[in-house]
Amino acid sequence: MDRQVHHGPAGWSQGDGAQVTAGRPPLSAGMSARTENEPANRPPAVRCEGLTKQYGSKRALDGLTLEVPQGRVVGVLGPNGAGKSTLFRVLAGLVQPDAGRVEVAGQLPGWRTNRQIAYLPDRARWYREHTVRDAFRYAEQFLLGFQPEQALELAAWMQLDLDLRAGDMSRGQEARLMLILCIARRVPVILLDEPFAGIDAVSRARITEGLVARIGGGETTVLVSTHELAEVEALFDHAVFLNAGRVLMQGPADELRRRGGSMQEIMQQLYV
Amino acid sequence: MRDDAVHERKVGPLTFRLDLSQPLYEQILEQMRAAIARGELPLGEKIPSVREMAQALRVNPNTVSHAYQELERDGLTETRRGQGTFVTAEPARVDQFRTAIAEQAVNEFVDRMQALGFGWNDIDRLLDERKAKGGA
Repeated sequence: MDRQVHHGPAGWSQGDGAQVTAGRPPLSAGMSARTENEPANRPPAVRCEGLTKQYGSKRALDGLTLEVPQGRVVGVLGPNGAGKSTLFRVLAGLVQPDAGRVEVAGQLPGWRTNRQIAYLPDRARWYREHTVRDAFRYAEQFLLGFQPEQALELAAWMQLDLDLRAGDMSRGQEARLMLILCIARRVPVILLDEPFAGIDAVSRARITEGLVARIGGGETTVLVSTHELAEVEALFDHAVFLNAGRVLMQGPADELRRRGGSMQEIMQQLYV
Repeated sequence: MRDDAVHERKVGPLTFRLDLSQPLYEQILEQMRAAIARGELPLGEKIPSVREMAQALRVNPNTVSHAYQELERDGLTETRRGQGTFVTAEPARVDQFRTAIAEQAVNEFVDRMQALGFGWNDIDRLLDERKAKGGA
């Protein structure tokens, strides 16, 4: 473990992500990515500097700079097109940025970080013929760090029948399966892109419960992008607000709550 | 504050009201302190584990853990290795804590009244009027 090697070379600034758009200084003043209990010698779970990604004429990421401390549950928030999914794909090593630097768990994203990252893409699907049990067997063979016992516990907790075929599942049930396949892995970083999109209230509640069962303890950092804030915002201990491919505001969630109210209220203030 | 930002959650004998537009850590801490001060969580009683509490409240376990650490610093709870966390068994601890909170509330009240220009006689009179109205 040569994690120290990656920590704090001169090129890394603490980021200007704590700044906010003109007109709202009270929300951002004094905000920083770290809190008082932060051990100084652990590398951040995610570190991006000046990330840029262009798709044709559209700039999906526009100089995005961000540092996420380890062990947090981070809400990655913003309107459609803010750059959330592109950021996740870059972190997962699926998209190469045009410019900028990125590290996940102290490494460049790529095939080597497969061991470090579990990524749930937007609208993920599974093999139609597989039952939940089949999917877990498959995952045990092919997904690094997959913990079958934890997956079974999560399935029981989230009320997902092990004999149900993916092809016969509702969207909500399939979303539960996809979430379990992702969070039952012992990895330092979990990326969940819209895990609640388009699914029923019961499944959203089950997914929230599954997440609570998995998080905490400081070992795993979870980044969640979602528009369904009501379900999940109490789980965030850190939040990042994106707009037009940049960080508009970020900070510890309780600090943001104190200054600007709930995540939902802050969204409304920021993106009017 | 909007009503849909306030969630009510039951945990055993306790009811928590969490307002998502305020820091969650402080709300959990204050409501736990109040439950112990009022005796809703009796002396020596085991309190739910961090994970159980987080699951029941549907909040981040780190937030619960942070509040539990503060309760222990207050002297209101103690952790026994391998057994969990318990409300202190010593009544004096809880009394001391209640008294400290009460003194703080009284000081805030008196400061506020004095800032408005009320003297001790006025304060006595207002308190008597309040008592006459009844209630706790």
